[in-house]
Amino acid sequence: MNSQPPLVLLVDDDRDFLEMTSHVLEAAGYRTACASDPAAALDAMTREKPSLVVSDLMMKALDSGFSLARQIKADPNLRGVPVVLATAIASRLGMDFTPRTREDLAAMHADAFLEKPLRPADLLATVGRLLGRGPGGTTP
Amino acid sequence: MSDTLRILVVDDELGMREGCRRILTDEGYDVETAPDGLAGLELFRERLKPEGGTDAGQGRPAHSFTAALVDLKMPRMGGMELVERIHELDPDALILVMTAYATIDTAVEATKRGAYGYIPKPFTPDELLLPVRNGLERRALALEARRLREERQNRLLEVAFERSKCNTVINCMTDGVLVVNRDGQIVLRNNAAARILPECAGLPLPSPLTCLSCAPLAALVDEALHASSLPMIVSRELPLGLCTYMANASPVFEPGGGILGAVAVLRDITALKKLEVAKSMFVSMVAHEIKSPLAAIEGYLHVVLAGIGGSDPQRDRHMLERSLLRAQALRSMVSDLLNLTAMETGAFVVKREGLDLADAVAQAIEACREKAEAKHIALALHKPPGPHDPVLADRSALQSILTNLIDNAIKYTPDNGHVDIAVEPNGMYAKVAVKDDGIGMTPEERDHAFDEFFRAKNDFTSRIPGTGLGLTLVKRLVELHDGRVTLDTAPGKGSTFTVRIPMVRHDAAPL
Repeated sequence: MNSQPPLVLLVDDDRDFLEMTSHVLEAAGYRTACASDPAAALDAMTREKPSLVVSDLMMKALDSGFSLARQIKADPNLRGVPVVLATAIASRLGMDFTPRTREDLAAMHADAFLEKPLRPADLLATVGRLLGRGPGGTTP
Repeated sequence: MSDTLRILVVDDELGMREGCRRILTDEGYDVETAPDGLAGLELFRERLKPEGGTDAGQGRPAHSFTAALVDLKMPRMGGMELVERIHELDPDALILVMTAYATIDTAVEATKRGAYGYIPKPFTPDELLLPVRNGLERRALALEARRLREERQNRLLEVAFERSKCNTVINCMTDGVLVVNRDGQIVLRNNAAARILPECAGLPLPSPLTCLSCAPLAALVDEALHASSLPMIVSRELPLGLCTYMANASPVFEPGGGILGAVAVLRDITALKKLEVAKSMFVSMVAHEIKSPLAAIEGYLHVVLAGIGGSDPQRDRHMLERSLLRAQALRSMVSDLLNLTAMETGAFVVKREGLDLADAVAQAIEACREKAEAKHIALALHKPPGPHDPVLADRSALQSILTNLIDNAIKYTPDNGHVDIAVEPNGMYAKVAVKDDGIGMTPEERDHAFDEFFRAKNDFTSRIPGTGLGLTLVKRLVELHDGRVTLDTAPGKGSTFTVRIPMVRHDAAPL
């Protein structure tokens, strides 16, 4: 078990985004699994519990990402899995979801928040921080 | 006609009649006489009638008698009765009784019947003239007083009417109106204000501004009341309950420039605020739809440029191809968006001409052929033989409608599928049906198919670049042509989009 690299579950309805992020994470030494909606993500988690989840915010519904995060944190078995929410929603107009404090993040049931387009370096830094690793991913 | 006063003298003694005539004529009055009560009454009545239709002034003929001197003891009709009858005919006439039997009783009796006073016989000229002068003066004064009273009454009525008209207008206004005097007392509020501010409904007027439960409104009115420069209007948005109001307050100045008070107007801007929210939601939506492909493109470019995961020319090429595809989809979305906006603002000009629908469809099929061949999808055109009536449409709009529908059918049909396009000139409208044997839609997806930015989301569609605006554009364009677009679809059974466009009729006037 310990010899296996951590598994990151990516949830997004944009296949290109999944492909790009999984490539970035795999190149950094992580294993990845992809799901195109929250239901598929929960299904995938029953097969193998991931070390971390990166989810888009707006998929089928406006709040798909929030409800997925809530369900993960409500599940005693999955509660410990960090959740990173990523969105392309413009924070300056109308809908501002960008959390400013730890409390905001807790209310979202999220551990980190990233704005799309995201830079590979930012993604790796966030994932590495949450998994207690360096940005390279491979070093324990 | 001079303003000479005319006096009637009624007496059965010729000496008395002529004596009076002389005295009064010398004094400048016009005098006529009658020898008994009946003749006097007839003469008085006669003179009250309008003279040849020319009614001088206020309903009273100029030649009518102003005063009557009446003897009490006369044949045919006694003085008492004559006094009464004359008074009935003209209550304003000055009646003086002349009597040799002057007793208090007869005097009182005559006064009761309408006489102004009496002159005891015999009398000197002065004894006659004095009561006549006095009486006439009294009469003139009474008439003037009555005229003034009536005038004032009329003016009061007018003012009351104007005020009630003004009140009605203010109460019929849809905006709330509050008027405050210089002491900050509410002195007027219309019905709309009472509706908006329930505490105003039963408020006795005047009441202090502090009675308002909406403190910002009270502060606003107070600000207007103390405006330092003129003209000054202070405005504030006030959220009250579920509604939002725009409150404008301005000072009311008296002619000298001092502040008399302030008037506040409350306008319901709830609908505008909702529109504002909808607009910003739409902009957020557009921004999201633009940022999503940009996120993919930027991500791919980062990976390729930074050589993340080593360099693999084949993989890099794939990522660049995907980036190009997403960039093209983005460009097409922006142009759809601009077209939709142009349609909404009316800037989209439709130039209708008679077009051959089958030709237009064939042209659209050619434009989409490459995409169909890449997926090995068979594109087929079905049309009845022979020439048919042209449709009435804008050439580029028609192409946009057809290519959007065919492109859509190809996109949502798996490899080796079929897309059939059937043209059918049908009565008033020509029909084009674009039928695919692709993935189809659920009833819920079908209900939203024409919504802006709507895209069915599932494993199959997630790989398909699309704007979610194509079908919205098709619907708007078809409707701009007074046509209709319908959709028949079921999951796994494919979709059929049917467009009906008005035809040019042979019997119609030439274009």
